[in-house]
Amino acid sequence: MILFKKISIISCFLIFFLYGGLIASLFYFFQWDPLTTTLTSQRTIFSIRLSLIAATVSTVLSVLIALPSAFALSRYDFPGKRAVDTILELPMIVSPAALGAMLLIFFNNPLGLWIQDHGAQFVFTFYGIVLAQFVTVCGVSTRLIKAAMDEIPVRYEAVARTLGASPAKAFFTITLPLSRRGIYAACILSWAKALGEFGATITIAGSMSMKTETLPIAIFMRLASAEIEGTVVLILILVSIGLSILYVVRLLSRRDSYA
Amino acid sequence: MLEVRDLSSRAGSFVLSNVSLSVHPSSCHVILGPTGSGKTLLLESVIGLRKPDRGKVFVNGDEITLLPMEKRRLSYVPQDLALFPHMTVRENILYARRIKGMRLTTENGVAKELIGSLGIEHLLDRRIRNLSGGERQRTALARAIVSGCKYLVLDEPLSALHESLKRELWYLMKDLQGRYELAILMVTHDLEEAFFLGDAISIIISGRVHQQGTKREIYGYPQSLEVAKFLGVGNLFRSRVTQTSGGALSVRCEDLGVSLNVSADRMKSQITQDNECIVGIRSEDIDILPPAELPPDGTNTVAGAVRSIVETGASFTIIATVGAGSKTVEITVGRAITNRLNLAIGQPILINLPAEHLFLIDPNSRDTLS
Repeated sequence: MILFKKISIISCFLIFFLYGGLIASLFYFFQWDPLTTTLTSQRTIFSIRLSLIAATVSTVLSVLIALPSAFALSRYDFPGKRAVDTILELPMIVSPAALGAMLLIFFNNPLGLWIQDHGAQFVFTFYGIVLAQFVTVCGVSTRLIKAAMDEIPVRYEAVARTLGASPAKAFFTITLPLSRRGIYAACILSWAKALGEFGATITIAGSMSMKTETLPIAIFMRLASAEIEGTVVLILILVSIGLSILYVVRLLSRRDSYA
Repeated sequence: MLEVRDLSSRAGSFVLSNVSLSVHPSSCHVILGPTGSGKTLLLESVIGLRKPDRGKVFVNGDEITLLPMEKRRLSYVPQDLALFPHMTVRENILYARRIKGMRLTTENGVAKELIGSLGIEHLLDRRIRNLSGGERQRTALARAIVSGCKYLVLDEPLSALHESLKRELWYLMKDLQGRYELAILMVTHDLEEAFFLGDAISIIISGRVHQQGTKREIYGYPQSLEVAKFLGVGNLFRSRVTQTSGGALSVRCEDLGVSLNVSADRMKSQITQDNECIVGIRSEDIDILPPAELPPDGTNTVAGAVRSIVETGASFTIIATVGAGSKTVEITVGRAITNRLNLAIGQPILINLPAEHLFLIDPNSRDTLS
């Protein structure tokens, strides 16, 4: 029992040192001068702002569609349910670059061209970044929210309904608050995944400086032009933003806990 | 009145068939049956959580079979009570009012009176996780009644409570049922609870209603071998009908090696001479006589010896051997009788099986003959 406990705790620290070690190794190439230069550069500020906005918009959109979808998958039986449930994993089994390529191909089809002509332009634009991130995280957030809703016994809703609540009222007053922690977790992970999304984004939106250059793309561009010190600074910015927001959200959701 | 007509439903391979029952205002109809007999499936079909395959449900003559749950006017309390854990006791109790847009208050009206009767005034601002089992039960009852529904559907709501608390809540439920004119449809596998709370009882076994009636009918006259066994009738003996004429009914009980007269009042027409049957009697309906008190004609009396005496709280269960000792009779007697007869293991006794308490079961159809 004690040995098992030790082994399990050691594996936790192995994971911590794996990621921590990778972050720590960045400091081998860290220099103060490139830090100030990079941090004050218009291009970096634009990339940070673009990444934060795009990740937030795509997360909000994906959670908005994931919430009703997850509820339907968790509570109802309907034709095609298994197919929907299976396809949620598409972004995980297809590489991000392939996902981006699929989007690009779609927008070269008649329907895609019609959408681009009569609606919004997605290829090489901000909308393209949001779409790439949305497509990448939508399945994940639906899967996570569904798992949270599966944990809530259906009897709570049944009781609420016998007390006079309509299905929508039972959802908003019972299911939603009870699965709140799972929804927070889905938002956090979706946002983090969107923030770090690279493959699909660069495929459909390109890497245009001051236009579609998100932080991960900026990191790739700096590395491609052998600017190691600048790359290190951008990675540290990305890691700091991601980890601090995740940490704050985790703290808030723990304070909110009723269980 | 809540009425269920010929309701059939299924869950996987389990089938609930042709259930009909009614619950009158200010009364409690108990569905009694062993675990896995379909009791919860029946309740879920009644409240609308499951769509029945067949049959209809009515409330005050209006059909509600296909109505959504919120329009059925049935308040449901499941086995785990399903109190909303993200709300306080007050918020739980007032949930039905809140969603109907009514003022949220526990300071007047039914809510105040009910909260007082249930003794939960001091718990109103507590979270559900901080309540004991009994407090949760009271909160669930308050929530169901404050909603204004006159029909309560309860799925073994007291099963998790200990004995003394359970009894306290039985009295409370009886009181609330009368005071608020509630019609209660309740499921339990607890015989004592069913007989305490039920004005009418339906025995459901393997998805089929085996018997329905008042407490007296169910307790005194089980209508099938399954019901008799479920109700704890331990004395079931192989017999053969020897006389059916002249208003008299006699059987020869092979197991006990004795002839028994059976009350012919409830005799059914299909009983014929030489029919094989099973004769049954409840352990508490059997009398023990000292050897000196043998009735003059010796009718319905068999000699035996005490094999074991088990104290079961207020009463004693005596296991007595008869004949060569291969068959046993289970007898329940009070402390006073045990003391008066000074019963001890090995002591010879006379076992009297009163004719009015004996019932016969057909071993083939497994239904009662009398």
